[in-house]
Amino acid sequence: MPSRSRGWLAVGAVLAAGLVLAFLIDERYHHRVLTLVFLWATMGLAWNIISGYAGQISFGHQVFFGIGAYVTVLLVVKAGLTPWIGMGVAVAAAVLAAVLIGLPTFRLAGIYFGLATLAYPLIFRIVMDWLGYQEVAIPMKRDDPGWFMQFTEPRSFVLLALGVLGATLVLSRAIETSRLGYRLRAIRENEQAAEAMGVNAFRGKMAAYMLSATPAAVAGAVYIHAILFIVTPDAVFGLLVISQTLVVCMVGGTGTLWGPLIGAALMVPVSEILDSTVGDRLPGIQGVVYGAALVVITLYAPEGLYWRVRHALRARADRAAAVGRPPILAPADEDGARPGAGPVLLEVRGVSKAFLGLQALSEVSFEVREREILGVIGPNGAGKTTLFNVLNGFLGPEAGEVRLLGEAVTGLRPSECCRRGMGRTFQVVRTFPRFTVLENVMVGGFVRERRVGRVRELALAALAQVGMAERADALPGGLTTLELRLMELARCLATSPRVVLLDEPLAGLSADGVDVMIAMIRRVRNAGITVVIIEHTMQALLRLADRLVVLDQGRRLAEGPPGEVTRQPAVIEAYLGKRWLARAGSPS
Amino acid sequence: MTPTTARMLTVERLGVTYGGLHALAEVSLEVGAGEFVTIVGPNGAGKTTLLKAISGAVPAAEGRITYQGGDLARLRPAQRAALGIAHVPEGRRVFPSLTVMENLELGSYRKAARAGRAEALDTVLRLFPILHARRTQLAGSLSGGEQQMLALGRGLMAQPDLLLLDEPSQGLGPRIVEQIFETVDRIRRERRITILLVEQRVVEGLELCDRGYVLETGRVALEGAREALLADARVQRAYLGA
Amino acid sequence: MAELVQYVATGLLVGGVYALMSIGLALIFGVMRVVNFAQGDFMMLGMYLTYFYAISGRVDPLLGALLSIPPFFVLGWLVHRGILARVTGGDPARQHDAQLIVTLGLSLVITNATTMILTPTPRGIPTSYATQAFAVGPVLLNQARSYAFAMALVLAAAVYLFLTRTDVGKALRAAADDPEAAGYQGIDVRAMHALAFGTGIALVAAAGGLLATYYPIEPTVAGNFIVLMFVAVVLGGLGSIPGAFVGGLVIGLVQSLTLLVLPFQLQNTGVFIAFLLVLYLRPQGLFGRRLRAV
Repeated sequence: MPSRSRGWLAVGAVLAAGLVLAFLIDERYHHRVLTLVFLWATMGLAWNIISGYAGQISFGHQVFFGIGAYVTVLLVVKAGLTPWIGMGVAVAAAVLAAVLIGLPTFRLAGIYFGLATLAYPLIFRIVMDWLGYQEVAIPMKRDDPGWFMQFTEPRSFVLLALGVLGATLVLSRAIETSRLGYRLRAIRENEQAAEAMGVNAFRGKMAAYMLSATPAAVAGAVYIHAILFIVTPDAVFGLLVISQTLVVCMVGGTGTLWGPLIGAALMVPVSEILDSTVGDRLPGIQGVVYGAALVVITLYAPEGLYWRVRHALRARADRAAAVGRPPILAPADEDGARPGAGPVLLEVRGVSKAFLGLQALSEVSFEVREREILGVIGPNGAGKTTLFNVLNGFLGPEAGEVRLLGEAVTGLRPSECCRRGMGRTFQVVRTFPRFTVLENVMVGGFVRERRVGRVRELALAALAQVGMAERADALPGGLTTLELRLMELARCLATSPRVVLLDEPLAGLSADGVDVMIAMIRRVRNAGITVVIIEHTMQALLRLADRLVVLDQGRRLAEGPPGEVTRQPAVIEAYLGKRWLARAGSPS
Repeated sequence: MTPTTARMLTVERLGVTYGGLHALAEVSLEVGAGEFVTIVGPNGAGKTTLLKAISGAVPAAEGRITYQGGDLARLRPAQRAALGIAHVPEGRRVFPSLTVMENLELGSYRKAARAGRAEALDTVLRLFPILHARRTQLAGSLSGGEQQMLALGRGLMAQPDLLLLDEPSQGLGPRIVEQIFETVDRIRRERRITILLVEQRVVEGLELCDRGYVLETGRVALEGAREALLADARVQRAYLGA
Repeated sequence: MAELVQYVATGLLVGGVYALMSIGLALIFGVMRVVNFAQGDFMMLGMYLTYFYAISGRVDPLLGALLSIPPFFVLGWLVHRGILARVTGGDPARQHDAQLIVTLGLSLVITNATTMILTPTPRGIPTSYATQAFAVGPVLLNQARSYAFAMALVLAAAVYLFLTRTDVGKALRAAADDPEAAGYQGIDVRAMHALAFGTGIALVAAAGGLLATYYPIEPTVAGNFIVLMFVAVVLGGLGSIPGAFVGGLVIGLVQSLTLLVLPFQLQNTGVFIAFLLVLYLRPQGLFGRRLRAV
């Protein structure tokens, strides 16, 4: 992969540039600024792992920074332990804290998560005050300064910080290019779609949180030794630490390792220079600059500088590529004889589900046989999407059971249902908007395969299968409705499903689009995959489905071959009302 | 529409795209002043989107909507409501944490309706006596049928020139549905409001109207006078494909 | 027993002012779905305005707190129009995150600019009643806190009347309940957002003025209170105004009662633990409905 090695090369170039800079600079103060740039970039990268990649905005990440600082310093003070080893202990403590904090906190979503993270550093602050650690100074070790990280040569700290930054860059790059990285970003972009594609969101977030606690703790430890020399609760657990981290990330851009790097390289020198020139007369100038930077960047470039520039470049390339794109054509009709009913693949038994007293599903039972196309129809509010949500684990039913290949899957997470062979698409296409088409499909591919290169091939094959190979590098935002639906189908196929649940795959398509989609769905079935499909447009289902299950007000109203079902009075009544039936007499 | 009546609402070649999906394409229709027009069609045909485009909740990608001679394109929903378009949305959408009375009062929030508030309230409470009994209750605690009456009442409180009704029968039992449609009919006879009704139940919806349209996957499939549509077998095909 | 009553009384008095602060935050969240990080900083500015009223115009701080309502309403309106209304976050799904970050930025600017201009030195407003107490049986009630409590109650009641008795107040609640349906009634939702933000800021500034009668005024005072406000609002069910009011009272009580079992420095741990417990066990708050997924 040329682009992969280019990324590593860029990381190497950044480190080499840092090294050159460290040796070019001579003034003590400039060394200090450079150290700060490296450390805040590290802290930004740490935050970026959980909040950038995984999208869980944390307002309390300084908790790990503070733990790193306190544990390391206290070990020197109390046990005379060198910070080189102390840092290891501190990292272990931070990771443990991440687990303890993450376990309850990841049950919360969105704003609740952010608010909860706010509380932890505050608690630590109070506890440190109470334990009498309002000010802990690092004891001077004159005989063995190097062993105790007390360099007299400021360049040593620059190199140390650069080393920490380098390791964090390597970690970030490794995450970005691995299965974990794809999964974390998929969680950020659309947690439900990620779950349906086999990503266990809870485990992903927890892994990200633990990984992101590590560099934060190291940064905290080094920061104390290089810059502060005295650790206070406010200095390491305070709001300024997280503000600085956020500024670095927001200005540069989140979700990429270049963002915090760019942000730190810009913002830290500016604020340090202001502080050293006018800071005496204007205490707080740093905070004003940081705050103003947050406001300005959110107003004018909310995605951050890195993405702003990249999107501008990309949009130009996309415009050029979009010219003369051939329309997607329906493949030749491969529908041979409809295969006879195979063995039972999916079994739904007496499933009931209520919301706030409204019975969405009551005692729905039916079977899906291997290699059939089963249509689920019914008027608005009949419970069709709810049924799918129960089938693939988004909702737990109050009663009843779902069995896939003879095994009960009721109550399993969607990711686990997916792993066992249940693919799913959504009524409103759920893309991972900042992924390319290929990357969208790759998320599905990771269910069966961990190697990125292999998954890429798998995803390309799935795209080719639906006729989308040429659009692999496009972003979802630039796709037509048909292309979006096909991409979602390919993503679902990449999970190597036994059965796919398609939620209104024909909605919003033109007549030609409907033909393409129908041909694709047949092709899927002919490849040996069972299809369950919800649809409103009956015309299409009559052409496509082998069998229909009709739902009305949460109950199974009818079941059978399409031609028969649509003649049943109960079905006509459900769709057009009782009085239509009375007026029209028996339909001809 | 009869040629003598003025046009209240004209929709020309309206197209709406919604989260990447084409919900409506080239929809054209007209509603004359004082007319009752019903749009029927299966679910997912774009009926709700059409009403939302008229009241401004979703932007039109193509085409033009003209109301009482003026183009609505640049007006926000609140401004359209101020002009006398009252939208009774799908799923009722009453304000659940406000009382029944407060919901009704907000119906006549628009300036032109405030003067006539007391009178309108009288009318609404006469139409729906149950709302009077429930007036201090939170709207969120009402039953589905009562919420629908409240939503309808709230729309009438605006003393609108054009009333948009989106599936007033949805999710309700047959008795309540009958009652709702009876009331709609009564409103229409007593108050001569122009009404555009969207409905999935064909007969109930069409019987009330002067003219109707059948919408199918975002396009107008059929249009015609009430009796013609009610007798047209193609209506059933739009729903069931056969 | 008398000791317990004393702690409860003290807690409630302090809680009244917390309650007033918190309803401002709840109003903003309820209508706009924005968690305003800068709320504490506007409170701090309210303390300073009341201070300057008192120092330069000899205005009693209780009156000063009231007089800070109009200018802060205007300020809040302007901040909404000039900044918050313009934040889109690139796409609607990220708008709330973006608004959160903006308010954090505002908070940093306000705290630090105040430090720059007014110096970090703490100030106080000398009043005759700050050191006096009413004796109710064996229980002593600090006069400054009692007056502040009474004023907070009056203001909260005024807000309640505004929201329940006026057309605009009802429209504001309707916009919080269902912005789309509010639009159909002719309610200008954007204007409601500006109104909510202006009112929310004005209320917290007034609470700041009341607080200034017994609490030192300094640029960094926001940090001590913003989290208490968050806790009160979460406790009351995000966005519920009566909930936030009760939440504020509860915070005062918890803070005060924590002192019965824990040393002074740990006073706020009780509050934070209560906060986390509510988030985990009952994220819809003690009184609230569960929020729709945002």
